[in-house]
Amino acid sequence: MNTPKPRVLLIEDEKTIRRFVRVAIEEEGCSVIEAETIAGGLVEAGVQKPDLLILDLGLPDGNGIDLIRDLRGWSEVPILILSARTQENDKIDALDAGADDYLTKPFSVGELRARIRALLRRRLRNGDGVSPVVEFGNVTVDLSRRLVLRGDETVHLTPIEYRLLATLLGHPGKVLTQRNLLREIWGPSYVESSHYLRVYVGHLRQKLEIDPTQPRHFLTETGVGYRFQP
Amino acid sequence: MSCCRKKTMTSENPVDAPFSEKLKPWQRLLLTVAACTATTLLATPLLGHLDLANIVMLFLLTVLLVAITLGRGAAVLASILSVLLFDIFFVPPRFSLAVENIQYLVTFSVMLATGLITGQLAAGLKQKAREAQMRERRTRALYDAARMLAGALTKAQVVDIAQSFTHEQLEADSLILLPEDHAHPVVAAAGTPCKIDPLLARIAEDSGTTVRNHELSGSGYAALYLPLRASMRTRGVLAIAFRTDVPSVADDDVALLEALASLIGIALERLHYVDVAQSTQLKMVSERLRSSILSALSHDLRTPLTALVGLADSLFLIKPPLPTVALESAQSMHEQAARLANLVGNLLDMARLNAGEINLRREWQPLEEVIGASIKLIGSALVAHPVKVSLPADLPLLEFDAVLLERVFCNLLENAAKYAPVNTNLDVVARLAGDYVEVEVGDRGPGFASDNNDRLFDMFVRDESVAGKPGTGLGLAICRAIVEAHGGTIHAANRPQGGARISFTLPRGTPPILEEESV
Repeated sequence: MNTPKPRVLLIEDEKTIRRFVRVAIEEEGCSVIEAETIAGGLVEAGVQKPDLLILDLGLPDGNGIDLIRDLRGWSEVPILILSARTQENDKIDALDAGADDYLTKPFSVGELRARIRALLRRRLRNGDGVSPVVEFGNVTVDLSRRLVLRGDETVHLTPIEYRLLATLLGHPGKVLTQRNLLREIWGPSYVESSHYLRVYVGHLRQKLEIDPTQPRHFLTETGVGYRFQP
Repeated sequence: MSCCRKKTMTSENPVDAPFSEKLKPWQRLLLTVAACTATTLLATPLLGHLDLANIVMLFLLTVLLVAITLGRGAAVLASILSVLLFDIFFVPPRFSLAVENIQYLVTFSVMLATGLITGQLAAGLKQKAREAQMRERRTRALYDAARMLAGALTKAQVVDIAQSFTHEQLEADSLILLPEDHAHPVVAAAGTPCKIDPLLARIAEDSGTTVRNHELSGSGYAALYLPLRASMRTRGVLAIAFRTDVPSVADDDVALLEALASLIGIALERLHYVDVAQSTQLKMVSERLRSSILSALSHDLRTPLTALVGLADSLFLIKPPLPTVALESAQSMHEQAARLANLVGNLLDMARLNAGEINLRREWQPLEEVIGASIKLIGSALVAHPVKVSLPADLPLLEFDAVLLERVFCNLLENAAKYAPVNTNLDVVARLAGDYVEVEVGDRGPGFASDNNDRLFDMFVRDESVAGKPGTGLGLAICRAIVEAHGGTIHAANRPQGGARISFTLPRGTPPILEEESV
């Protein structure tokens, strides 16, 4: 344990929820900073420079989405959203504003710890620079040589399929909204043509998943977007 | 034309006519005779002092005055009478029709012709002036009606304005028929004594032209049906019933009524859009209120449940570990709280779905994806029940709300897993069926108790065969609400090879074209 403990800023107004989330974070070997309001959270984020931010969207002094927008102006810290709202729009807005992942209440501690681990891991890896070779399942993708192997066989991808794959692989574990993906890969005029995205994700699954009907790596976040799970 | 107009004016509009025409014909006759007699009496003493030619002038003046005050018919009568009286009382031999000097016949003819012509001209002039006056009055009345209609706030006000206008201008009753009234000819105005021929009203509305039926006038039925045309569409029909038996309606009157009808049409259209704007506003406000109540409720119910689930889980993290019994309790707490959360979710969903029209966020997408996402979402419930998905290769994109359809699959799969024996497969099958795609979720469990299962989709109804198992009877009701909102149907049955099967349909529609990628 030479490296300092990662610090997690938890912004949540419910005391009981803070209590068990704190336990879960500490179990992951991190130290916890707590805040109850957006204003307090922003101050702590600026002063303490946390490695991960866990944010409840429904805070008493405003909308958590505004905090994300403010924060993204000067910080790249990963943000995990806790939302009691079932409306997909809130999640999409938060993700579009720059959040990395979300959990819908109620969630189990197991899920929470898995998300914390994934986000912290990504932060570390970002520090090292991205490796050009990504492996998942029996698939190996060499981004520097634009080479996709399934087992030993080369998989042929169309240019758009490859671009979609590269974009997804570039953000492992992060939920990418439909809007984001459409804009990035097809361009701004396709933002409303979500069927393109759906069909091409289907192609990737056909070519790279063992069971395309029950994918394990290219996951759908229904009504929100997609997530690549290594 | 001018003759016809005159007849209309004299016979149909006694109210509008000037003083002289309020008189009955025999009174006018009497006045004419009296005027001619008076002239004779006045001129008799002057005989001898005045030349006969000047006495002729007095008679011509009388004819002129009669023509101006009593109209054309009286003028004709006065001309003839004047000639006779002049002949009898002034032309020698006096007191007989005989004429001494034949040249008086020229005097008579010129006198008669002059009388008739000046009488005609004078009466015509008078008539014209009166028509102009009446037209001006009607224009002003129409202008007033337009002003009032522009300020009308309700349909009843529009009806009142129309009624008083037709009453004052034409002595007629009017009714406004609105489109929804056609099926059952209910009338917008209360208490107007006038019957409607629904067929004529329908013709007027459909053709957009005025329909007249003079045979109906005087019978208590409306004789004129004018469409209320506005810029968007015909807003209804204005029916006019004359109180007296009218042989024909003057074109002027029809033109006036058509002008009125278009004013009413515009007023009704304006009121319609005021209504639309108000109800849209109201709907928006109530929609916002409903959604904020539901999300507040959702937040308030989920927060303590989240704490419960999380706190139960965190008992596992205590070091040194708690005794097994305590951990088992913690596990049960977690499960029960999760079940409660599920129930709350179902109830809130049902409230959302039941509260009126569902806002579907429909997008074209492959069915495969939502099935995969559903299986992943409830993965823990399916550990002992592997799901076999078989979809035809040519299954087109379907247009649906993915979040809601995910609820359908989750509910159906969870149900199936709950009732089927452990380690049996669940099946998800889709097939093309005409304009629909039929999707089926089946299990290899005991099946339903009976074959008549449509009641299972009602709220809080559960199959007899599942009496002992936990559940609320909401899951299938939610499924039905969602499927029906998408324009499909849902049914439950037993599979021929055993097990239960729930199948639903989704309309295929016309999928968008996907531009091929140039490789």
